[in-house]
Amino acid sequence: MADANAPSKYDAGFAREVYGLENGSYVKQCMQCGVCAVSCATFQCMDHSPRRLFALVRAGRKDEVMRSNTPWMCTTCLMCKARCPRGIPIVDVMHDLKGLALKEGRVTYPQAAMYQAFWKDMSGRGKMFTAGIMKNYTLKRGLGNLGKMMGLKDFGLKMFSHGRVPLMPPKAPKGKKQLMQMVKKAQELERKGAK
Amino acid sequence: MRYFLYPGCSMEADARFYTTSLTAVTQALDIELEELPDWNCCGATMASGVIGDAPAQVMALRNLAIAEASGGLDVVVGCSSCYMNLAQANRRFREDPHFRALAEESLAAGGMKYGGGVKVRFVLEMMVNDVGYERIAARVKRPLTGLKVAGYVGCQSVRVLPWEFDDPEQPVVLDKLIEALGATPVPFTHKARCCGSYHNVPQTGIVTACARDILVSAGDADLMVTPCPMCQMNMDGFQSYVNKEFGTKFNMPVLFFTQLMAVAFDLAPATYGLKANIVTPGPVLAPYGVQM
Repeated sequence: MADANAPSKYDAGFAREVYGLENGSYVKQCMQCGVCAVSCATFQCMDHSPRRLFALVRAGRKDEVMRSNTPWMCTTCLMCKARCPRGIPIVDVMHDLKGLALKEGRVTYPQAAMYQAFWKDMSGRGKMFTAGIMKNYTLKRGLGNLGKMMGLKDFGLKMFSHGRVPLMPPKAPKGKKQLMQMVKKAQELERKGAK
Repeated sequence: MRYFLYPGCSMEADARFYTTSLTAVTQALDIELEELPDWNCCGATMASGVIGDAPAQVMALRNLAIAEASGGLDVVVGCSSCYMNLAQANRRFREDPHFRALAEESLAAGGMKYGGGVKVRFVLEMMVNDVGYERIAARVKRPLTGLKVAGYVGCQSVRVLPWEFDDPEQPVVLDKLIEALGATPVPFTHKARCCGSYHNVPQTGIVTACARDILVSAGDADLMVTPCPMCQMNMDGFQSYVNKEFGTKFNMPVLFFTQLMAVAFDLAPATYGLKANIVTPGPVLAPYGVQM
């Protein structure tokens, strides 16, 4: 567990950097009530609750925020977003913080590898193919993770024996190339719009 | 009644039997589902974290642009995550002029246009609002009297647009549908709690902890039904992991609600897809004359 009270470097520009992300300025609205924490499905696994993470953003504690597992623990169950009395789309702020962490090369959590594995596979074919994602994920996590992957053997074999694991990838949409052109354009426009 | 079906990636892979049972059930109710042409991935829960919300939502909107250009039928979605992405992108397109301009320009970069005129419908909502409990009950040929069913709604479908069709925290629609099939919905406080989602691979312990709480909350139900492929896979496929980790003896079949509808409608057994369920529902459905 990271200690939020330990001395750390104050990064004056960090809060502004986060506020400039797509949903980042919502962090300013947080009134520190903690409804998000008591609503969260994975709060017990987080090193900071969403409330506390937002306080750290405002305090310019970049390193702790970027090191935090909190955004990666989020399952997008939307409970906090539905309950937040200030209407903060907390889940969407977490998307931004994940994206920022990936951009900064903070990819130690297995969940970060899963996100990258998903995108690498999906963006190449326009649809999701589990076997392709698992291949990317296994390669990214490397040999040290093989023991953990073996723990999933039982699950994988059962899914397979019940006819639930297609070995061939799905038929890619004909407009796959155009789809990626749209994504690229949207990313450009989003960057241009950000201050 | 005619709709486009947006199957999404899991409904043509690990949750293929959801599509099979859904197709059979809708046919029995005189509903025409036509697969949306050339659809693409909605972005799942992960694309937004890699490329950002707006670009991921543009991906989702490409599907609605296709639907609009192909006749503008409502788009029915079976998967919670797909519904979340399509419905949220659609709402934002209509309400946020800044995003709308961005989306229009991005779609145009791929030669497409969207006017915001397509409705995104969650399959459960379409079933109860367009068909209705009465017509569903009238179609039941094998009433599931005495069967105790836990209606596990899951998280994203009821919360992405709170109160769009149900209570975001204590939903009732699925329970009423269970009643229409002659079965008894059990009290189930965790019916809209998270199953642990994509942590099943990177951190299995999160899924087993979530799944255990949900299974405990389902009490003495004979089986569980859900409309969500991710919930189904985690609750079904990781139940043996829960038992191993916590020393429990759960043996709860987890079906798609459409499988239970196909059973209650007494459709051709091949459409039930019960062999795909890892925890077999054989023993609890045998008293109703269902052979595995």
